[in-house]
Amino acid sequence: MIRRTLYSGVLSMLAAGLLLSCAAKNDFPGLEYSPQMYHSTPYEPLTQIKDEDQGNWLDSNDEDAHGEFYNSNPYNNFDMTMREPAANTVKRGSYLPYRIPKDSLELAAQLMVNPFDSTAAVLAEGKVLYNSYCIHCHGSKGMGDGTVGKVYKGVTPYNSRAVKDKPGGHIFHVITHGKGRMGAHGSQVSVEDRWKIVRYVQTLQNQ
Amino acid sequence: MSINRLKFNHHLFCQFLLTLSLISFISFGSLAQEDAAAPEATDAGLDPALVSAGESLFNGNCTVCHAINEKVIGPALRDAHERQSEEWIKAFIKNSSKVIASGDEYAVALYNEYNQTQMTAFAFSDDELNSIIAYIKSESAKPIEAAVATTTSADGEAVSASSGVAGEYITAILIGFVVVLILILIVLFLIISVLTKYLKENKELDEEERDLVGQEFSIGQLAKSNAFLGFVTFFFLAIVLKSAIDGLFTVGVQQGYQPKQPIAFSHQLHAGQYEIECVYCHTGVNKAKSANIPSVNICMNCHSAIQNVGGQTGMSPEIQKIYDAAESGVPIEWVRVHNLPDLAYFNHSQHVKVGGIECQTCHGPIEEMAVVYQYSDLTMGWCINCHRETEVNAKGNEYYTKLVELHDQTSKNPLKVQDIGGLECSKCHY
Repeated sequence: MIRRTLYSGVLSMLAAGLLLSCAAKNDFPGLEYSPQMYHSTPYEPLTQIKDEDQGNWLDSNDEDAHGEFYNSNPYNNFDMTMREPAANTVKRGSYLPYRIPKDSLELAAQLMVNPFDSTAAVLAEGKVLYNSYCIHCHGSKGMGDGTVGKVYKGVTPYNSRAVKDKPGGHIFHVITHGKGRMGAHGSQVSVEDRWKIVRYVQTLQNQ
Repeated sequence: MSINRLKFNHHLFCQFLLTLSLISFISFGSLAQEDAAAPEATDAGLDPALVSAGESLFNGNCTVCHAINEKVIGPALRDAHERQSEEWIKAFIKNSSKVIASGDEYAVALYNEYNQTQMTAFAFSDDELNSIIAYIKSESAKPIEAAVATTTSADGEAVSASSGVAGEYITAILIGFVVVLILILIVLFLIISVLTKYLKENKELDEEERDLVGQEFSIGQLAKSNAFLGFVTFFFLAIVLKSAIDGLFTVGVQQGYQPKQPIAFSHQLHAGQYEIECVYCHTGVNKAKSANIPSVNICMNCHSAIQNVGGQTGMSPEIQKIYDAAESGVPIEWVRVHNLPDLAYFNHSQHVKVGGIECQTCHGPIEEMAVVYQYSDLTMGWCINCHRETEVNAKGNEYYTKLVELHDQTSKNPLKVQDIGGLECSKCHY
């Protein structure tokens, strides 16, 4: 009798401990309840499983020669599940791509015209964008004293003599391609957003 | 007599020593003061007004690329006036490319040393140039240690501030309590043994009292008593049941998942200490389903210049990994932390751009995480609960204007997400 209770006690404790070990911790993502519904069958961007054996134990398709969870595109570079837009294509309903090369700063400064007027709405949007993409180096007033700018060094204040009178095209080109120590931000900020930032930066140039 | 004199002498000697040390102390103090005042004394040759004018010009135009004591983008300007003549410096500030083009040996060497970076031409007047040079002279006269010491201590504080001091205190206090409790137990045990010993030796006790004193505590008897067995069984069952239920609730929930990433990237450092906005790297958060993981070129926007942390010099091994990826073109394989099951659809832009929800509402105190973990449980109940409680962010959004009007005609409660289909199955499952 006592032995029986002892056995059942130990067993139930083991079962509880086993269940507790299902929880996610550190490198273990936790036990999945219905894995076939958790893992995407189509290519899922930002989720890539290269290991062909993953999910072999519940494979539902014998013909594809890999496990249930395998999610990689063998036709892409590095088997990635996402890729860049095809070369020489333009997204519908947006601005044409900016094609002036990095070394033609003077040309851009002369040619490029801001499609947005300096209205309150554009400036407000420009400020939000500036505070997202620029403020940590250039500072809230464009003095080059942002939290990163202080460590990064070499951030020109917008109202310094060297850049105070630079036109919008110059600013747009510098955001797109970078200049000196500043990196290129064309991949992060859309053309439209860049022109709005230009409008806001111009108010900071004149303070 | 001789002993007496000796004593007297000794006393005199002590007095002499005391005066000597006092004098030396005072003179040393005044010497130190003189030391501190030294730069001002050398400054005397320079007009203070000129120096302060130069300081504001220097801070406004030059600090971008130059510092007095350290190499930034251009050389450190300490003692620049001793390396070259004032005329040369003025010409270089006004138009450096002209000086370089003229074939000046020093200028060409400088140009090549600093990766052929051209210094911006500054159209300063002669007076302004004089004031800047005066400022450089006055700064060069100051001792170098002070400036260096302040910068390193500032960095050190910033780093040490992040370590958890409170946690250490709590552990220390707990350990202290346990030690005190054990001591109290020992003392009580000693008192009991002394008392029983005394009572046993006492001969005035009758039989009954003697039994009571001689009684011994038996663990075996206690273990066999029904009350004790019932108590233990109840607790055992309760604990097993609780852990079983808890365990069942963790199945399919990845809350707390904290995988090791290929690069020891710290959100605490980037988003917390340096206050870089989330959207700077997670560029898709306002536009797309996924917030996106930045590619290497975004890392290199800053890390092309920043190669180490905490004021250390040289290349940090973790940052070296970014450089390797940038050079080889092999993408960094970050480990995805938030794996929403494929059976549910979630869109970042809908929540962040339209709904105006802060990142931290779902992702927790991300700016305090050295290694990111899943903060919320991301269960359906968690989603639904928020949809029941959250008001629709309809302000300034024309899309919702008529919807809000219609809703207000029939209801006194504000328009919540559940009122626009936030509880519909097919909103997220299709």
